Amino acid sequence: MSHEEVLHSHEGHGHDDHGHHEHHETFLSKYVFSMDHKMIAKQFLITGMVWAVLGGLMSVLFRLQLGYPEASFPWLESILGKWAKGGQITPEAYYALVTTHGTVLVFFVLTAGLSGTFANFLIPLQIGARDMASPFMNMLSYWFFFTASIIMLSSMFVETGPFSGGWTAYPPLSALGDASPGSKSGMDLWIIAMALFIVSSLLGGLNYIATILNMRTKGMSMTRLPLTIWALFFTAVLGVLSFPVLLSGMILLIFDRNFHTSFYLSDIFVNGVGALSNEGGSAILYQHLFWFLGHPEVYIILLPAMGMVSEIMSVNSRKPIFGYMAMLGSLFAIAVLAFLVWAHHMFVTGLNPFLGSIFVLLTLLIAVPSAIKVFNWLTTLWRGNIRFTPGMLFAIGFVSLFISGGLTGIWLGNAALDIHLHDTYFVIAHFHIVMGVASMFGMFAGVYHWFPKMYGRYMNNSLAYIHFWVTLAGAYLIFWPMHYEGLAGMPRRYFDFSIWESFKMFADLNRFISTVAMIVFAAQLLFLMNFFYSIFKGRKVTTLNPWQANTLEWTTPIRPGHGNWPGEIPEVHRWPYDYGKDGQDFIPQDVPVGANESHGH
Amino acid sequence: MAHTHTAEENKAVIAEIKKVTIILSVLTIVELILGFWMIGMDNAGLKLAIKGSIVILMMAKAFYIVAYFMHLKHELKNLIMTIVVPLALFIWFICAFLSDGNSFRNLRNTYNPYFKEQSTIKVEKKASPNHESTEGAHDEKAHEQK
Amino acid sequence: MSNVTTASSTEAKWWGGGKSPFNVEYGKVMMWYFLMSDAFTFGAFLISYGTVRFSTNGWPDPNEVFRSFPFAPEGVHAPLVFVSVMTFILIVSSVTMVLAVHAGKNMDKNGVVRNMIWTIIGGIAFLSCQAWEWNHLFHEGAWWGQNPFLNADGTASSTNFTNFFFTITGFHGFHVLSGVVINIIMLIMTLTDKFEQRGHYLMIEKAGLYWHFVDLVWVFVFTCFYLL
Repeated sequence: MSHEEVLHSHEGHGHDDHGHHEHHETFLSKYVFSMDHKMIAKQFLITGMVWAVLGGLMSVLFRLQLGYPEASFPWLESILGKWAKGGQITPEAYYALVTTHGTVLVFFVLTAGLSGTFANFLIPLQIGARDMASPFMNMLSYWFFFTASIIMLSSMFVETGPFSGGWTAYPPLSALGDASPGSKSGMDLWIIAMALFIVSSLLGGLNYIATILNMRTKGMSMTRLPLTIWALFFTAVLGVLSFPVLLSGMILLIFDRNFHTSFYLSDIFVNGVGALSNEGGSAILYQHLFWFLGHPEVYIILLPAMGMVSEIMSVNSRKPIFGYMAMLGSLFAIAVLAFLVWAHHMFVTGLNPFLGSIFVLLTLLIAVPSAIKVFNWLTTLWRGNIRFTPGMLFAIGFVSLFISGGLTGIWLGNAALDIHLHDTYFVIAHFHIVMGVASMFGMFAGVYHWFPKMYGRYMNNSLAYIHFWVTLAGAYLIFWPMHYEGLAGMPRRYFDFSIWESFKMFADLNRFISTVAMIVFAAQLLFLMNFFYSIFKGRKVTTLNPWQANTLEWTTPIRPGHGNWPGEIPEVHRWPYDYGKDGQDFIPQDVPVGANESHGH
Repeated sequence: MAHTHTAEENKAVIAEIKKVTIILSVLTIVELILGFWMIGMDNAGLKLAIKGSIVILMMAKAFYIVAYFMHLKHELKNLIMTIVVPLALFIWFICAFLSDGNSFRNLRNTYNPYFKEQSTIKVEKKASPNHESTEGAHDEKAHEQK
Repeated sequence: MSNVTTASSTEAKWWGGGKSPFNVEYGKVMMWYFLMSDAFTFGAFLISYGTVRFSTNGWPDPNEVFRSFPFAPEGVHAPLVFVSVMTFILIVSSVTMVLAVHAGKNMDKNGVVRNMIWTIIGGIAFLSCQAWEWNHLFHEGAWWGQNPFLNADGTASSTNFTNFFFTITGFHGFHVLSGVVINIIMLIMTLTDKFEQRGHYLMIEKAGLYWHFVDLVWVFVFTCFYLL
């Protein structure tokens, strides 16, 4: 075999045998240690769902405290034990809850659950590959994530409780075991879980990049890739380049915790311990390192949702996506800017104001590609023949949330305004709408849209509509009022606001928010019910291409086996957005260009 | 085996490896000479200039290792660009971090009198560490000789 | 779309799908991007080191700290000498690695084996040097959280000098160690004719990339800690 043949062999015959004959598969190799990208995607999705329920439950618990600070609920003590003595959540438990809620939702649900699921599921199917470049590494990626999950979960059961210093884990709370109960073994487990999580996301990310670049089917040039794939590609690049920086930051943190170093520590006095000998470090350094990951992380969460929304919107508007190249360029611009703006999270930490002003400028620049994307989505919808499938509704909901959450980002990106708004409920409202709920909407849209491909069945539409409207209305009812609370100066992460005269006026509002939060949480259980019921009992898919979509995943059998296509991988002849072209409703990507077809795109 | 090199290609490759090895050695030696020159130097400006040139030499070494040893120069332009362009992120990474570090020092010198004071008081060449060090080194020598 | 379909430039052909746009197999693409991400890990360490150094008024003079040499008589101060030996060891091992990769391309098994052995010896020699230096510094009272050295201007120094030194050289040493392990595995696979059977020595190339990266990182670590 020559060198050249070796280079391209794996697309050719390396995987061909998968398509032809069935392997003998045991339960273990099919469902547990599976190397099929579709099964790994489902594993990520379901683990992510478990975490979403746990994280959501935590938010219900601390909203209970914020809404009813005076009341006591005896049943709380029976489930939380000493963390809710007398039926009231203790301050320590409250901090642990908000911290774990943040960590879990940001990393385990919206990073692993979102891009882990859809990158694994969609990349090989949409680019026309038998599987990921390295199925084995893909499997490892899931099992590292799983181990990280178990360790994070176990941190909730240690005696001193899980880490409670906020999901950003700023030192000194994270660096000194004596600083708070949650800074003890809970924090050690938190760091170990995060380190494993970083390994998982690196293994996954390298695989996604190599697959997208190297394994595209014939004719699938980069500008014929669906926007989903582009978004997942940039997501993977962001992860591969930014997670290592967090890893470095955490290694230094481990040394500070266990080996008497003072990378992040200087001039510290701990109650009951006295002045520490640690000198010369800088807590701001940790914040820089953390946010060098932390900001790209926001886009790691958001970009996959953007990509899926673009795809779903085009399919269900029966129109080509408006401005494909502009969409692509704005994805690229966002990915680059993501690395340049991290310190806008740090305007009040003592950051050099001159440096801060550069960060303001760069931050505000993000508004440009974001606006391009929003306008392109809206113009895609414009005069479209819209089908309001549940996936489409969630995609439209995503755009709505992205606009309303994104606009407040422009406020917060200004250092002068940020001094007033920093660490208030305004920030909470901003990032929950633009990053949290919006990305959840992207995830829901993806699940509803690709469920037929995943399980060969449809989800129930009526339940899905209820789910959508309750969630959309609920998201606005929860987070919109928080803007006012934040403008009034109500700080985040506080245990009880009832003791301040100035925040007493918000007592009713807080109760209202808490009530809505519980209703919205209940609506998510509806989604879960729908999801698991439909896996087994949903209406069966009978056509290959239920949404009349152009992308390659709909050319596979209804329930594709390992290897995706039973025969040859289809060749691609056109971009994925030929909807309503030359009087035809849609022309799939594998249809050759006709002789007198007009030039599109 | 279709792709093995001809004798001439082989010669060219070996010659290139030799050339790069020599270049790397020379660069390292120049760095070391600059390093020796700096020992005990009081002229802060000149010292800074030397440090600057050491950084430039370091980048040159990095270039030769990546381009020739890691073979990047002989790859397709596509691969070169996808690897070199993202590394440009380091520029802002370094600038922002270091300038904020510098600003943090200025802030501490301005607002933290203790910090400022500590950096002006000369400590006696404490007997303890130095003493210990010779002791330690001595012990070790003894060990090694056994 | 039309411009892409009609254009027959080599660029479009490379990116057209159905083959690697880089003309390399996926493992090498992954290795390159892994090294990029590792570059960010090391970059973050070294930049943190720089940041802390910039936020501190004084810093120890490396020539006062790293000035000993194995078996040298007491009182002989030889700054930079030992570390230059270490640097040359690593450069030479990189050269033998290049030769191994080159031999692999020519399907020259003996050449691969010979050069891999030299590379492994170089790696082990480097690790031994590092072990000696760490041991020596430890006996001088330097460790994580302990810094016996004074700043260059004679003022008291924080422990961050030794903290960063041990963390970063330790992390680099860990990479060298894993590189040596990888190289030993490659050597065994070569000896058992694994690559002869596969018909190519691409694995050696990937191991080589990793090994050169370790050398590359040392260029930066060496400069940042011993020269600047």
